Amino acid sequence: MALIEITNLDRIYNTSAVPVHAVRDVTCNIEKQEFMAVVGPSGSGKTTLLNIIGGLDKPTSGKVVIDGIDLSTMPQSKLVDYRLGHIGFVFQAYNLIPVFTARENVEFIMLLQGVNKKERENRAIDLLKQVGLSERINSRPAQLSGGEQQRVAVARALASRPAFVLADEPTANLDTESAESLLDLMEELNDKYVMTFIFSTHDARVMRRARRIVSLQDGKIVEDKVVTPEKKQ
Amino acid sequence: MLLSLAWKNIWRNKKRSLIIIAAITFGLWGGIFSSAIMVGMMESMVETAISRDLSHIQIHKKDYDKDKDVRNFIPDGINVLDNIRSVKGIRAASGRTKIIGMAASPSSSYGVEIIGIVPEDSKQVTDIYAKLIEGSYFKSDRKNPILIGRKLAERLNLKLRSKVVLSFQNLEGGIAYIACRVVGIFKTNSSQFDEMNVYVAQGDMFRILESDPIIHEIAIRSESVETIDLVRDNLLILFSNLQVESWKDMAPELAYLSQTTGIYMYIFVGIILFALLFGITNTMLMSVVDRIRELGVLIAIGMKKSKVFIMIVLESVLLSLTGGFCGIGVGVLTIAYYGNNGIDLTAISGSLESFGATTILYPFLPAMMYIILTIMIVIAANIAALLPAWKATHLVPSEAIRTY
Repeated sequence: MALIEITNLDRIYNTSAVPVHAVRDVTCNIEKQEFMAVVGPSGSGKTTLLNIIGGLDKPTSGKVVIDGIDLSTMPQSKLVDYRLGHIGFVFQAYNLIPVFTARENVEFIMLLQGVNKKERENRAIDLLKQVGLSERINSRPAQLSGGEQQRVAVARALASRPAFVLADEPTANLDTESAESLLDLMEELNDKYVMTFIFSTHDARVMRRARRIVSLQDGKIVEDKVVTPEKKQ
Repeated sequence: MLLSLAWKNIWRNKKRSLIIIAAITFGLWGGIFSSAIMVGMMESMVETAISRDLSHIQIHKKDYDKDKDVRNFIPDGINVLDNIRSVKGIRAASGRTKIIGMAASPSSSYGVEIIGIVPEDSKQVTDIYAKLIEGSYFKSDRKNPILIGRKLAERLNLKLRSKVVLSFQNLEGGIAYIACRVVGIFKTNSSQFDEMNVYVAQGDMFRILESDPIIHEIAIRSESVETIDLVRDNLLILFSNLQVESWKDMAPELAYLSQTTGIYMYIFVGIILFALLFGITNTMLMSVVDRIRELGVLIAIGMKKSKVFIMIVLESVLLSLTGGFCGIGVGVLTIAYYGNNGIDLTAISGSLESFGATTILYPFLPAMMYIILTIMIVIAANIAALLPAWKATHLVPSEAIRTY
């Protein structure tokens, strides 16, 4: 059984006079440990698709089944718990809590899960070491570079021990060196922890490293191919 | 950690938070200090009335207040007075012989209440002796010494050592006269009292009345303010044939004012907090609007809306309590300073004297007020947080995340 099964997914926005068909009849399966990029031009439906997979948005029709659980019929109150326990999020703008240190940012998601203080601290420090920030544990986001902030965001996404990580344009705000370094880290985590990564991106640097690329256009999958990632430059 | 996050969030925009904290501080300080002045004034009026003439408890013959005739004295008053002095909880008691009469000087005359006292006994229950501005407290070789108020002295054009003739009804229904010599002029906080009351030695009154000692009123001081009602109840049992009243029974208007001052105080501070509530709501709303993306992220990663709600309420409560404690702190310091040194209101002494308040005011606020005030602040903060918290919990995370 695939980790994520997407079947005949449609998402229509009726907020304007003309309905906007953001996702059209999308069907695909995502297996464990995939390192997959959803690509396409702006407005192609990448973010909408990721939002539906992440339980942040509901499909108009069709369904998303994760580990045998249908998210499309799950009430909002349960979706919050589901997101907390099963999905890690990495955002384009890092979106860390500015008043917290790197450690506290990573710890916070575990606090929401009810993990005890000692374990929270140990796991947060361990994760920050793994993402190469052992020296910046007590730094606040404003004291970190963009690349470092995104590493903290990755550590935060992994802190809840999710089934998979959704990364929406994770490298869009990073310079080449930081982007490559972040992708190295994600690849390593993908290999080491059998962690599934799903990116939405139109960054060529990400596409080069992905092992599967799903291309969207006008909300439809126009191409779904398994690729051999380029070797690191 | 949620509490820590809420506290840190307050200080993300220092200027904005400090402005609302300053508003709460000054608002509460004003409310607390004004309330302390009101309570201080009220306490002063009550204390003044008790010290001047009411004392804590008074005993009369039943229905004396309806007919203050000279013959309406307490039966066997001297014995009653002696018995009262041995009742537990009583610090001092003084018998008064009271007759309505007329005071006349060569230039004018005026209706007064003539109060016959044993000076040393009276000293134990009231403080007229301390209100003398001229002369002495019955320390005179002159025959028939009298203490009069300054207002009466002005009205009758009397000075120290002036002669004043008192006329009043005797026990047989005839008119008795006594020529007295002014040995002391007192001035209390009530010009009305000063104008209408004169003190003479009880012995002189008995001589003119040609009667055995008679007492119309027994003034009592209890050992403590807290036990007044208890002592009154005991006396009511012991002297069921007499009228036993506490100062609250005798001056219900003062008791009512004292009680309502507390209520007005809460209403007054409540209105201030209500006004501040809008400021807090505005600050919290701005804070939520500034953090829409962040709140969206928190909800997206799995923070329950109930926790987001609690976080916003905590921020509002912490912000309000910070301002509240600053306001209470400044208020306590101000009250402590003026409580010791007093506020000199001599400039408006005329109007204050007309309703029996002192010209030096000592602000005072009961400790319970501070506790209730803190509770009121927390309640106001919770109300102020409702709209911002509602807004925060109704964010759609997928849209909020993309807000810049």
